[in-house]
Amino acid sequence: MDRMRKIKRQLSLTLRRGNSGDKISETISPQDTTHSHSDSETMSVRGGGSTGSLRGSVRAGGGGGSFSMHSLLQSYGSALRRPRSLGRSLSSYLNHTTRLEIVHEDVKMGSDGESDQASATSSEGVHSPVRVRLRNNPGRKISTEDINKRLSLPADIRLPDGYLEKFCLNSPLFDKPLSRRLRRVSLSEIGFGKLETYVKLDKLGEGTYATVYKGRSKLTDNLVALKEIRLEHEEGAPCTAIREVSLLKDLKHANIVTLHDIIHTQKSLTLVFEYLDKDLKQYLDDCGNCIHMHNVKLFLFQLLRGLNYCHCRKVLHRDLKPQNLLINDRGELKLADFGLARAKSIPTKTYSNEVVTLWYRPPDILLGCTDYSTQIDMWGVGCIFYEMSTGRPLFPGSTVEEELHFIFKLLGTPNESTWPGITSNEEFISYNYPRYRADCLQNHTPRLDNEGVELLSKLLQFEGRKRISAEEAMKCPYFHTLGHRVTTLPDTTSIFALQDIQLEKEPGNRTSSLSDSVNSISRQHSLLF
Amino acid sequence: MDSFVTPGSMEAISSVYLTSAGKRDGDTETDTSREMKTHFRVCRFIMETGVKLGMRSVPVATACVLYHRFFQCVSVSLYEPYLVAMSCIYLAGKVEEQHLRTRDIINVCHRYFHHSSDPLSCDSEFWDLRDSVVQCELLVLRQLNFHVSFQHPHKYLLHYLLSVKSLVNRHAWSRTPVAETSWALLRDCYHGTMCVRHAPQHIAIATLYLALHSYGVELPVGQREWWQVLCEDVTKEHIDAIISDLLHLYDMEAKWT
Repeated sequence: MDRMRKIKRQLSLTLRRGNSGDKISETISPQDTTHSHSDSETMSVRGGGSTGSLRGSVRAGGGGGSFSMHSLLQSYGSALRRPRSLGRSLSSYLNHTTRLEIVHEDVKMGSDGESDQASATSSEGVHSPVRVRLRNNPGRKISTEDINKRLSLPADIRLPDGYLEKFCLNSPLFDKPLSRRLRRVSLSEIGFGKLETYVKLDKLGEGTYATVYKGRSKLTDNLVALKEIRLEHEEGAPCTAIREVSLLKDLKHANIVTLHDIIHTQKSLTLVFEYLDKDLKQYLDDCGNCIHMHNVKLFLFQLLRGLNYCHCRKVLHRDLKPQNLLINDRGELKLADFGLARAKSIPTKTYSNEVVTLWYRPPDILLGCTDYSTQIDMWGVGCIFYEMSTGRPLFPGSTVEEELHFIFKLLGTPNESTWPGITSNEEFISYNYPRYRADCLQNHTPRLDNEGVELLSKLLQFEGRKRISAEEAMKCPYFHTLGHRVTTLPDTTSIFALQDIQLEKEPGNRTSSLSDSVNSISRQHSLLF
Repeated sequence: MDSFVTPGSMEAISSVYLTSAGKRDGDTETDTSREMKTHFRVCRFIMETGVKLGMRSVPVATACVLYHRFFQCVSVSLYEPYLVAMSCIYLAGKVEEQHLRTRDIINVCHRYFHHSSDPLSCDSEFWDLRDSVVQCELLVLRQLNFHVSFQHPHKYLLHYLLSVKSLVNRHAWSRTPVAETSWALLRDCYHGTMCVRHAPQHIAIATLYLALHSYGVELPVGQREWWQVLCEDVTKEHIDAIISDLLHLYDMEAKWT
């Protein structure tokens, strides 16, 4: 066995040496004009070379597995050109990571440059800070507004003392024109994309893939939520995280949580979100499950506003629940956790039907429908509307059967006239529910006025196509008391920018919620997967 | 997998388009044309692997776009294109909700390079290779800035085909495989970088245009051309540019085989 080990080590050394020595020949070797099929075959013979006998002996010694592995490695590298094993491309990858860490890719979601994708991703050339500094123009006076404008930072950002002075001296930021690449370099100089920029405070929660911390940005002194996604997991970056980031980057709206920054390290991916004090679930708990009815209206409107923005962009949330709606002390409500959301254009029947949390899942999905569209989210809006008005969940079923039972008990067991086609749905038949008569919604929601009940019933329609859309819902009479100006605001303006829109004080508040640090431990579960 | 169509009539059109667009590569092999060939082969690899893995058309298309975008940002000499391709396949599965397992990807790719060998055993080097795929996926994500959701021409082509079908004589339609050809042309587009350089609607129009012309199917002429009716912002120049790119690919393939 000792000999085996020696041979193996020698082999790996040879391979490594071979690779580095091959660099030159590799770049000048001409392309074969054969097909990739025949390529790989010839190369796996040709690629053997001097290491062939060594590998043979390894194999003879019993290392069969490693032999096939080597030849695979070889052919990956050699299929087209001279042997260039995975080892090399990996090491060059590693070099690149460190390099890329210096020049962080993206930085601030609020950027303007999504249109010029080509330049946005062209980071092949890494500008050394030295070269960057040559471009600056020290004489220029810089204001905070300038910086905010450049970086699309939130308007209320507070930059630390001494920050502007530093930038007057060595920043290329304000020397036009500024390419995306340069901007990225300069953002990185400021501290975006670096873990050191953020101080971890309390842990807010932990999930399978991610841990969420409350944090503070040293750059702005603002609180942030740091969602740390572990990457040791064998499947690589979780697909929920990939989808969440790729979607959130394009969503900029006052009622959607802002992704400030992404930090890559070897072991983790950290998403930096804006921090909001609590989610709707905690808000309900804190005010004794009795939200002021005016605030219910404000929250519902903001929920619809955020959702309408998503739906216009063909993005479905698919996982609406109170835990995913974050609320700050101003009363601004923001949609969070887009892990299950996806960009979607025309309905196809390919989505898995296990997507929405059971309590907020519409009956058509519960009965196996996979052909859904934006209406999938509207049922959940109805359930949340009810929960805000009454303080308890509408259909708290723990199994699909029980969930449907709750629904039919209130809305009546569907028949051909209330839901065409339902009597031929096999799942529906197999459950064999008793024939309930529809209850009057009004009896269950004493605090809700007639217009509110009307909206609720339009949201709680069995069939997806009959459910009211977010856009229509915002126009319904229930919201007329908010005035018409709320419907004409720019996307990124909060409804509280209007003078006459104000949050009412919650009468049932048990604690002054802001200084309540005990509760914060369990907060922001919504950011977990 | 014989995805590459070269109907006989294509050659005649091909020569017209290539001369009109001007022959772009001379006799000397330039770096760009060498790179084009590399990417062509790797995309062929992606598609073949995709079929073996049972991937649908759109995830395969996404994998190709990820691959092309990645190598738009970095030089092909820096990274092993086949490893990047494997990671792109893996990532495309995640993005398009057709989750693939790394084990399957590695096995299928291994078989691609070694037709008659056994699958890899689960030793430490298999894990190393798997780690490479996973690590490289992160690299791709990072390089592309997490811009990994794309609009593809497929759904547009489907709609256009339905519209065009209603305009054409039923018998003429059933005699000519316009739908199959345009679909194959669309798939072939992904061998080159036109899928990242042109709007999805334009690509769909161009492949349909070429398919119709290849079979001499004529559409009723109205005030506007049929393609203007289907897609408002497409121009003849767009169509010509895409077709010329596509024929250039066919030409390149024909020359080296």
